[in-house]
Order: sequence, then structure tokens, then C-alpha cells
Amino acid sequence: MADGNGNSAAAQFKAGLWSDNPVLVQLLGMCPTLAITNSVENALVMGAAATFVVICSNLVTSLLRSLIRPHVRILIFTLTIATFVTIADRFLAANLFEVSKKLGAFVPLIIVNCIIICRAEVCAIKSGLFKSFCDACGIGIGFTIALTILGVVRELLGSGSLYGIPVMPEGFDKWVIMVLPPGAFLTLGILIGVVNYARLRTSPGGAA
Amino acid sequence: MSKFLSESWLVLAMGTIFALLLAGAQAAFGPRIAENRRAELERAARSVVPAEVGKLEEATVQVEKEEKTVFKCLGAGGELVGWALVDSGFGFQDKIKLVVGLSPDGGKVTGLQVVENVETPGLGNRIEEKEFSDRYKGLDATEGITVVKQGASKDRNEIQAITGATISSEAVTRIANSVLSKVRPKLDELR
Repeated sequence: MADGNGNSAAAQFKAGLWSDNPVLVQLLGMCPTLAITNSVENALVMGAAATFVVICSNLVTSLLRSLIRPHVRILIFTLTIATFVTIADRFLAANLFEVSKKLGAFVPLIIVNCIIICRAEVCAIKSGLFKSFCDACGIGIGFTIALTILGVVRELLGSGSLYGIPVMPEGFDKWVIMVLPPGAFLTLGILIGVVNYARLRTSPGGAA
Repeated sequence: MSKFLSESWLVLAMGTIFALLLAGAQAAFGPRIAENRRAELERAARSVVPAEVGKLEEATVQVEKEEKTVFKCLGAGGELVGWALVDSGFGFQDKIKLVVGLSPDGGKVTGLQVVENVETPGLGNRIEEKEFSDRYKGLDATEGITVVKQGASKDRNEIQAITGATISSEAVTRIANSVLSKVRPKLDELR
């Protein structure tokens, strides 16, 4: 797992996108990934919300890192994350009401998404502001990319549309399983397999 | 005391600042959220009445120490084309809020729409789908509605439960029956 030691800010950013992708490599945040990726719109909004939270959380944690005592750090991380998730949730309910209803309880559940607290623990608590920001951006964008790939596949095959716009031809027989949980597991499993095969083939030494 | 403070001052300070941030967020977003909910409720009220609804007049009726919201649905000429009764109750997970449509004479259910629920995604929360709402159209509002798992018949005032979501389906019916039995008799006050 890429950590705050030694890596440059740019390397930290890139790691979140590919070699340390939170969903496809670290296998974190599986719950929202499986639950809300049945449409592209849901995936993008969830990704955006989580990215906002991880950036704010990393910045606050990094800013206060010299003041946070080890025995209260989890409490402080959770407090910070909960606050920003609530702000994001209220923002969505005010401005994107329909999507907010579709995402339902999964936006408040970002609070317990391991990805975010992991970044605070592994990077922000020991890194400067800029590096923490880059780390958060990389992880957030990586998360959003993973969600969107799943969303595109599941919505295209399961509903014949992309972002609500019908794309598949008239006679297309929808793969209903794709918008249901089994479709999520199948698609994610294949995606993880493909991504890690490619990643290990191209990494030096081919070691995991 | 000083040891307590030296250990926890940061948590207390952050808690206070975050509380202020959240209060600010609520002040900023609260009104829009209330507007959104209101618009959704009015959309649902219009959708449960078959006729074209021009104006919605909101009223309240007193039922056993509680106030229930009722919408008078008026047509283009100001005539009564239907009623929309709003109520909420307990579902499988938590609160379910719904709107029941009634014919002008209060005898027939013209529609039902669930507006708020936190039932199980993919199963219980299908009570918000049009396909489930349609099962209530045309039922007798004077008799209780019953839920069956198979072979529902509107002649017997039955609706079919959603497969895998019996409890949510029964909750919706229970709430509908409750609001119909309690509010229907009071509609004459509002005519």
C-alpha cells in the first residue's frame, strides 16, 4: 500500500489512479461500489461526493497533524469525515434531489467507507498539505473511475442506456441481472481480474 | 480536570467548529431541501388523481390528536376532481410516507404513491415504482384492502405483494387502510 513516506506528491496522485486503486487493487469501499453502480449517473455522483469528502478530510488531518495525539486520532478522523459527509449529503438533497433519493442511505454511509479513513491514517497524518491533497485527488479520481467503468457496463447491458439516454438499438434484450446485485459481483470480479492481470504484467518483476 | 482538558481540547474544539459548519450547511441547504420535498409531495398528489389537476388546496383534518394533511384537487374550472391524503407509518426498516388518491365522492381509490421510504434497495423500495402503485387503482376505499402473495383480485379488494418484499407491501397497505378509515369520514368538512 502506497504510504506517506518517501513518495513524491505526484507519485502519490498517480498511485491512487492505477497501481493503488482503492477499489480494484486495495479492494476497499466494496459496499457502495456494488450497490450504486447500476447507473452511470449514480456512479459519478457517488464518486464526486466521496472525492469531496476525502479531499476535505485529508486537508484537515494534514493541517492538524502535529496536534493529533495517537490515542484520539481515529475519533478525530471519524468526526471530520462525518462532518463533511453530512455537508455533501445536504448539498445533494438540495441541488440534486432525484439522484440523492436514488443513492439513498449510501451517501451517509460514505462515513464508514474504509477508503477515506485509510487515507487519513496512512498519508494525511504524516504528510504535508500539498501531498495530502494530491493523494486525496488521486484516490478520489481512482474511485470514481472504477465506479464509472462499472456503471457504464451495468447500465449499458442492464438498461440499454448511458446516463439515462437510450443507446442500445430497439430490439436489444436487456440483461436485467446487470442492474441487480449478482450483475454487480460478476462485473466487478471480472474487472478486478483484468486490471490486476494487466497491472502485474506491466510492473517490474511481476510481483504482487 | 486539567488532565482531561489537555487530552481532549482538540476534540472539543473541532467538535464545536464542525457543529458550526453543519449549522451553516443546514441554513444554506435547508430551505431548498424543504422546497424539493414539497414539490415532490405535490407531484405525487397530482399523480394519484386521474383527472388533470389545476390547483391543489392544502388542508388539515384532526384525527385523534394528530393533524393529517389532505389535498383538495381542483380541476381547471375549480371543481373538485379528487382528494389526495398524506400519511406515514412504519415499514420494514423505518418510516414510509405516502399519498393516497380518492375519487371526489370518496368511494374509490384512484391511486397511491410512496414518496419517502428507506426499505431494502431492490426489494422493499420497489414500493415506489409505478407498477406497485398501479395495483391500488380502482380499489374500494370503503372496505379494507388486503395483501395476498398470489392471485390478487381487485374485486376482492386485494393487492399483490412484491415478491421478496411482503412486509413492505403489507406496511404500505396498512398505512393506506389507516388513513382511509380515519380521514375519509372527515372529508365532508372540507367540501
